[in-house]
Amino acid sequence: MRGRIFSIEEFATFDGPGIRTTVFLKGCPLKCTWCHNPEGQSFSAEYVRSPNGCLACGACIAHAARRADGSLLLTEASKNACPRELVRLCGEDVEVGELCERILSNSDIFHSTGGGVTFSGGDPLGQSEFLLACLSYLNGKTHRTVQTCGYASKDVFLRVLDHCEYMLFDLKIMDRAAHLAYCGVDNAIIHENYSALVRSGVDFVTRVPLIPGVTDTAENMEAIARFISGLGVQYIELLPYNSMAGSKYGSLLREYKPRFDPKRKLCWGSDIFKHYGIVSKKM
Amino acid sequence: MTQRVKKQLALLNAREYRNRRADPPMDPKEADERFEETMMGEAQRFCYAVSCEKEAVFYGEDLFGFNRYCKGAISRGNFGNVVIDYAKILKSGLCGILDDVKRNRAHADAYANEFYDAIETFYAACFDICDTYRSAARKNGNDRLASALEQVPRHPARDYYEALVMLRFLSYILRLNRCTLLPLGRFDVYMKPYYNASIAKGVTREEILELTELFFISINFDTDLYIGIQKGDNGQSLVLGGCDREGNEVFGELSEICLKASEELCLIDPKINIRVNKSTPISLYERGTKLTKQGLGFPQYTNDDIAIPYLTSLGYELEDARDYAMAACWELIASGCGADTPNRHRVVFPEVVDIATRLDLVECKSFDEFLSRVDQRLEAHCNNLMKKYPSTYNDRTDATLLSSFISPCIERGRDAKNGGAKYFNVGFHGAGISTAADSLCAIKEGVFERGEFSAEELVSAIKANFEGYDEILKKVLSYPKMGNNDDRADSMGAFLMEKAVKYIHGKPTPSGGVFRLGTGSAMGYVTFADKIGATADGRLAGTPFASSFSPSPIAKLRGPLSNIKSFTKFDMRKICNGGPFTIEIHDTVFRNEEGEKKVAMLIKTFIDREGHQMQINAVNRDVLLDARDNPDKYPNLIVRVWGWSGYFVELEKPYQDHIISRTEFTV
Repeated sequence: MRGRIFSIEEFATFDGPGIRTTVFLKGCPLKCTWCHNPEGQSFSAEYVRSPNGCLACGACIAHAARRADGSLLLTEASKNACPRELVRLCGEDVEVGELCERILSNSDIFHSTGGGVTFSGGDPLGQSEFLLACLSYLNGKTHRTVQTCGYASKDVFLRVLDHCEYMLFDLKIMDRAAHLAYCGVDNAIIHENYSALVRSGVDFVTRVPLIPGVTDTAENMEAIARFISGLGVQYIELLPYNSMAGSKYGSLLREYKPRFDPKRKLCWGSDIFKHYGIVSKKM
Repeated sequence: MTQRVKKQLALLNAREYRNRRADPPMDPKEADERFEETMMGEAQRFCYAVSCEKEAVFYGEDLFGFNRYCKGAISRGNFGNVVIDYAKILKSGLCGILDDVKRNRAHADAYANEFYDAIETFYAACFDICDTYRSAARKNGNDRLASALEQVPRHPARDYYEALVMLRFLSYILRLNRCTLLPLGRFDVYMKPYYNASIAKGVTREEILELTELFFISINFDTDLYIGIQKGDNGQSLVLGGCDREGNEVFGELSEICLKASEELCLIDPKINIRVNKSTPISLYERGTKLTKQGLGFPQYTNDDIAIPYLTSLGYELEDARDYAMAACWELIASGCGADTPNRHRVVFPEVVDIATRLDLVECKSFDEFLSRVDQRLEAHCNNLMKKYPSTYNDRTDATLLSSFISPCIERGRDAKNGGAKYFNVGFHGAGISTAADSLCAIKEGVFERGEFSAEELVSAIKANFEGYDEILKKVLSYPKMGNNDDRADSMGAFLMEKAVKYIHGKPTPSGGVFRLGTGSAMGYVTFADKIGATADGRLAGTPFASSFSPSPIAKLRGPLSNIKSFTKFDMRKICNGGPFTIEIHDTVFRNEEGEKKVAMLIKTFIDREGHQMQINAVNRDVLLDARDNPDKYPNLIVRVWGWSGYFVELEKPYQDHIISRTEFTV
């Protein structure tokens, strides 16, 4: 079976315990306006342009196509036209066995440092059959972590839970309408899956990306705190907004439209979490 | 950091003190000519240099003094890059050494007597400058320094402060005598008795930290006068941890204080080295990583499990092997008794492979045949290097003063250039191993295994710097490269190293020592790379090699794990003259404790897999690019260059560019 990935990162330092390799699966059901991995959003392979060494000669643009919404899209012709060979195809189809063996080439290092593999994305649950095939292949061979936004059918989510040792689960916005507005989907299923995760006994960490004025508001933090403490969760990790988040959009000829003020100072909400008996850690 | 430390640091970083120095009375080269080419002539030349230091110079609330008044009166005398016998000098004082001289005169020959006469003349001038400083300190109300100078350097140090003053003094006089590279050796070993004495007297650890910080600041004044290849290349490396002469771990409170001082100050000197082994706890790597986080390019780690067997295999006694320190960059050197020249020449691996490619490849019917041609050329290259080594040291390097601090020169009545030191072995670097291995791999894959182009086509392509050979270039770039844990490339590196070891390791030198081989490049990654055109791996003319033992700058890497695996496949116990595996890690990885801990795990992984030496640089490409274009914004941005760290904006452009290119594939 083949799946589509867009990156393999050795020594990913924020994706679970120990020394890990993270595999980024292409495609995400959410469309968060702050996404810093825009190349992970589409399930299709896309051409991207590296800014390092770009002569701004315009050759790639001259060979670009138009998306349905009228925006430009790099093409194979753009790739061939670039004099510096800066345009490449992002999204590679790989066999389960081939990918897993590559990951396992470092399993001794994972073993000695308490690390393993992390599947991230995009959202890895977006290619659930491929993900499950990989997780099965790796069963008993190394420590498996899945990083997810939790937006998947209950059946898929439970099967994934059954095949991993650790989960990094993102909670973003508790308010349904705001979640729909900023992330593009309803959050009810996410909350159901999160509850299932807590009940499952699988080791996990809850993470909240702090987006200025969006997720870091007192109401949202309070809602998150209430929700997770109600399930008995006492630890949360807060990921500060990445000020470089917009930097990759240009590579896809897309415009970064965050719909919030990226420069606004972040609120860490430590007191709110403390009030609910939750230890919050700044990442 | 105390107020006093802050003030001294501000003074140093303002750099205004540099403008105050006086010009020498005459051209230094002209001055050199006025003195005889004898040991006594050398001593008299030093007396002249001392006389040009007209007055004592203090900066701010200077507790150490010994700063340069004159920019440099003489130009000769640059013997260095060895670790002097700090333990003995601290214990006996210069007068103790003079007593040794007297005692040894009883059985001295003419040469020895001349050596001893010269030492006495040298030391008399040393005492003069010391007395100048003592009265000036007294006059300025600096009673602490004045009192210390009653004791040292003439007599043994009695506490930590006096020992530091002795070190400052030694650095000053040796540098005045034009010794450029002056390593500090195993600081936490030889300073330990004085640290203990001060603690016993009631000095607090905070006071020791303050003194250590002030001392570290003091050795950064004047470093702009001691320029090796580039500014910052002054050899002030300092070693912490490792085992003592009996084999017991030495890392302790004082080592910890040194790390803290370095971390707080963020200066290019001293360059910290930590000795480790497979039993080193992860906590020490975590401690070291906090220093790496500062972006200074150190600590550098050296693996005792490899270094000590390497040295004993070359004939170093076990106790001396256990007591190794670092020369200026990463070369192993015996503390106090080694006059090794650890960086005499370089095996330039890519040059050997390149010559064989251009001259032999077309005739070869199989890859094995080509490989045996490479082997022949490598043997000739190594033999040629060993032949180049003269039976005596270069005449232009004078070593009399320095020799009085190296054992057992006094007892033998011989200076270090002429058999006075216990060890006088000769080290060769091994530059560009990854470029050479990748080139061999490209030839094997492209010409012999896949048949994607002919030998003639490849040779024409590299002769044309791949211009008009885009298809071949694309192909060779896509072949396996060292650093990706691919045996097809790594086995080529292993072949070259194994052969070079066979030709060099332990072979006798004409002067009775042995040759040693390492994996360092020093400036060779730029200077030698300049001389070689395009290579078969797809490296274009003018592109540098990797610095030391690292993947080629043109290699697209999978990541640090594959990289470490590639570079820990070889038995390094025969090729450990020095030259670290070097890895760049983006500074954001260090943004929290979790990231720091993982970097520590990565280093431990490398050491536990029997890697020999490792250097980790925390870098930020955007900052470096900005600093190159706007130097005024970054006067204190420090980067690792090869075996040393320097101020980025003071480097020449090729070195700046190489450092930036190294950051291209950082994680």
